[in-house]
Amino acid sequence: MQARRGQSSYRDRTDEFFGIVETLRRSIAPDAANNVPYGGGGGGRREDPRSAVANQSEFKKRAAVIGLAINQTSQKLSKLAQLAKRSSVFDDPTREIQELTAVIKQEISSLNSALIDLQAVRNSHNDERTISRDTTTHSATVVDDLKNRLMDTTKEFKDVLTLRTENMKIHEIRRQRFTSNPSKESTNPFVRQRPLASKPAATQPAPLPWASSSSSSSSSSQLVPRRQGEAESSPLLQQSQQQQQQMVPLQDTYMESRAEALHNVESTILELSNIFTQLATMVSQQGEIAIRIDQNMEDTLANVEGAQSQLARYLNSISSNRWLMIKIFFVLIAFLMVFLFFVA
Amino acid sequence: MSITALLVLKCTPDTPNPVILAHAFDFSGFNYFYHPNISEFVRFFGSTVAGRTLPSQRQSVKHKDEVVHAYNRNGLCAVGFMDDCYPVRSAFSLLDQVLDEYQKIFGETWRSAKEVSNQKWPYLVEALEKFKDPAEADKLLKIQIELDETSIIIHKTIDGLLARGEKLDNLVEKSSDLNKASKLEIVFDMRKLMFYKRARKTNSCCTIL
Repeated sequence: MQARRGQSSYRDRTDEFFGIVETLRRSIAPDAANNVPYGGGGGGRREDPRSAVANQSEFKKRAAVIGLAINQTSQKLSKLAQLAKRSSVFDDPTREIQELTAVIKQEISSLNSALIDLQAVRNSHNDERTISRDTTTHSATVVDDLKNRLMDTTKEFKDVLTLRTENMKIHEIRRQRFTSNPSKESTNPFVRQRPLASKPAATQPAPLPWASSSSSSSSSSQLVPRRQGEAESSPLLQQSQQQQQQMVPLQDTYMESRAEALHNVESTILELSNIFTQLATMVSQQGEIAIRIDQNMEDTLANVEGAQSQLARYLNSISSNRWLMIKIFFVLIAFLMVFLFFVA
Repeated sequence: MSITALLVLKCTPDTPNPVILAHAFDFSGFNYFYHPNISEFVRFFGSTVAGRTLPSQRQSVKHKDEVVHAYNRNGLCAVGFMDDCYPVRSAFSLLDQVLDEYQKIFGETWRSAKEVSNQKWPYLVEALEKFKDPAEADKLLKIQIELDETSIIIHKTIDGLLARGEKLDNLVEKSSDLNKASKLEIVFDMRKLMFYKRARKTNSCCTIL
């Protein structure tokens, strides 16, 4: 709302003021009319009939509410961005960030639905009565503007989330430098790595599936509890960093790793069976295609053979025609001779 | 990826110092002159760690570049000295296997052992060699690796299949085009044939004439 005011601050708004006064007098809901003045051609609206004004004011009300909500969301988003940038290794406000993220997501989705409602309202209003062209264009512009701002907000939100995941990655790397053995497994070539996560197969460290699919909760939730389990031992480790030997209780981690390995095997087998079924389907489909090709070729062969026989017969008939023509020619010559005889 | 040493010790609460029952060393990675030092170190370290491992507990201790894994099972303890990249899970399954073998072969006689026995247990030495590759020790790991290889191969196959599909589509197009083209030619020829048949019929009357 503030931005819009700023845009139109150099305009002469007395007409709008009069329009507001009239709307105030006419409209049913009094207090929301305060939100009405946003930058735009307010003059034309004054002449609308009363019901149109009431409908318009409802539209304006909704649009204003949405605009306000978008503003609030963007403010929260800037706060979240600040938090995400600020976080250090120890003082990590994870919980707050997650809460904020959830709240912002909720708000964005509700704003989306509200915008869609607004558009529906506008369309229904357009169908009900005849209105000036200006009003339609104006309402269309308003809706578009709101949509654009919502899109910008969503984009910023996404940027903030990426920034946050990058920060988390950096934290993990730093944490690994300070702790040792339990987390060294990530550089182990024998630890199971997803060879198909990307084409250059074998040497990918285990944090990568977590970082590259940060929004897919399954892989991250698998690794994160393990890391947290080892991160809790990391403050102890940092205290005893001077010592070379570290005793780390591994009992739970061992069981967890076995369970995880079993899960991995199971899921791999499921994927493989899936792929096999798809393979079989594709092969059968292609078999059909091959049969069709075969059919086509046989038809073509038959056609071409028929064409060849036709051409042969054609050739025959041509040559026989020539023979006929020769005969005719002789007959003609005979007539000529007879004719010559009679004349000469 | 190597195992430096495997030890089987007896460490019950009543004996203050754990007793080494069987051992197998592989010091090929180290300088020859340090072998006795390392052997001493291994024995000492192994008994210390085993002594500090509670029954039915697994532990891993890191010392410079080597990791010591210890598994205590009701007084019978297996300790393995491996390097960093040996995965922990495989190490513990290896220790499990070693303990099972020991119990199978030696039964319960170890409980009465009071001093360090010097009997050689060839299984340990073999195990040292065989299990250099952690996939051998850990069946899960082996299965996982094989599954991954299979899935790579399958993906390549699917790529080939897709290419084949494309070529087949190509062929279908071309063959149907050929079909249509040859049909046209047949029609054309049929018309010519009809024309010349009629022509010949009319001409035949002239010949007869």
